[in-house]
Amino acid sequence: MSIAPDILFEVAGFPVTNTVIATLITDLILILIVIFVNKTIALKPQGLQNIVEAGVDYFHGLVSEIAEKKTNFIFPWVMSFFLFIVISNLVAQFPGFESIRFSESPFLRAATSDLNTTLALATVSIIASNALAIKHIGIKEYLKKFISFKMFPIFMFVGILEFANELTKFISFSFRLLGNIYAGERTLGEMYNLLPIGLPLPFMALELMVAIIQALVFAMLTMAFMHILSDKSAH
Amino acid sequence: MEILHTFGLETELFLFQIINFLIIAGILAKFLYKPLKNMLEERKRKIAQSLVDADNAKEILENAGQEKKKILSKAKKDADELAAVIKVQIANEKQKAEEQAKERAQQIINDANVRAEVELENVSRQAGKMSVDLSEKILSKVFDQFFTPQDKQQILSRALDALAKGNYEKGSN
Repeated sequence: MSIAPDILFEVAGFPVTNTVIATLITDLILILIVIFVNKTIALKPQGLQNIVEAGVDYFHGLVSEIAEKKTNFIFPWVMSFFLFIVISNLVAQFPGFESIRFSESPFLRAATSDLNTTLALATVSIIASNALAIKHIGIKEYLKKFISFKMFPIFMFVGILEFANELTKFISFSFRLLGNIYAGERTLGEMYNLLPIGLPLPFMALELMVAIIQALVFAMLTMAFMHILSDKSAH
Repeated sequence: MEILHTFGLETELFLFQIINFLIIAGILAKFLYKPLKNMLEERKRKIAQSLVDADNAKEILENAGQEKKKILSKAKKDADELAAVIKVQIANEKQKAEEQAKERAQQIINDANVRAEVELENVSRQAGKMSVDLSEKILSKVFDQFFTPQDKQQILSRALDALAKGNYEKGSN
């Protein structure tokens, strides 16, 4: 199994990979949650509404503690990253992932074990963070962070480092998630090969934890970057 | 670029993932977070309102309690006053009844005295009458025993004479 996703078939020239199928399953689950919650939403919560409400309330509280006035902008991003990544990761733990074959390739593979997905998420997170920064502190103040002739050449060098820092975020965001999920999949695959009964169980438990922790890390880092970048005192 | 190809990075897939995530994020923001946030705010508002209502109810209850205490205290005071008035009235009534009873008793005593005097007079009169009758009976018996009919006739004649002459007392002596 290569780190690159397997192309299953093409639709009008678009390569449909096993991670794209997993992404669509994640989308479907999220949309079903949205439909179910909207249908059953009540002042006295029951069943799934309790779980979703608890999650939304927890993240909203967390974001509002840190971001305060910027909560309304930051919260939807943070919550969406968390939900998308956690569902993608958890869905991959279901039986059938990796095991169902389509033309000798696994039909399903965790969406977050594909660099296309993790890099896309990182790109959205970084662009949204910078957009929020421009909105809050203004383009002039934002650019000063990267281009400054104050105490030449010290701040100019600092600006270059800041720019490099922004670029490394793409790598750190995307490869952290990709590495963790892909490594987990590989480990589980190897354990199944070694001893299919019993041995994969502790690793599955570990993968469940990793699935939640990685989603939380991505969401929290997004929140931190969004808050720091849009904070005037940090510039 | 070779390394990116090794990782399977494809422009179409990368763009698909970006667009897909933005759409999902938009759907979640509009149809999940917004209604849930509204619901949470509504619940918080209702809880806050309920707390305010509970505080109001508590205040009303406290006021009612104070009002109750006040009413009870007033009622007790009124009852005490009424009891005092009734006590005075009872004492007056008792005194009045005692006076009336004394008066009545005195009247009964007076009536009894009057009746006793009348009875005594009657008794005396009857006793006098009875003594006259007795004397008469004794006399007639004595007469019958000691006098002959001629003597009786003689005495009767002499008495009638004396009566006729008007010196009954002299003659009786």
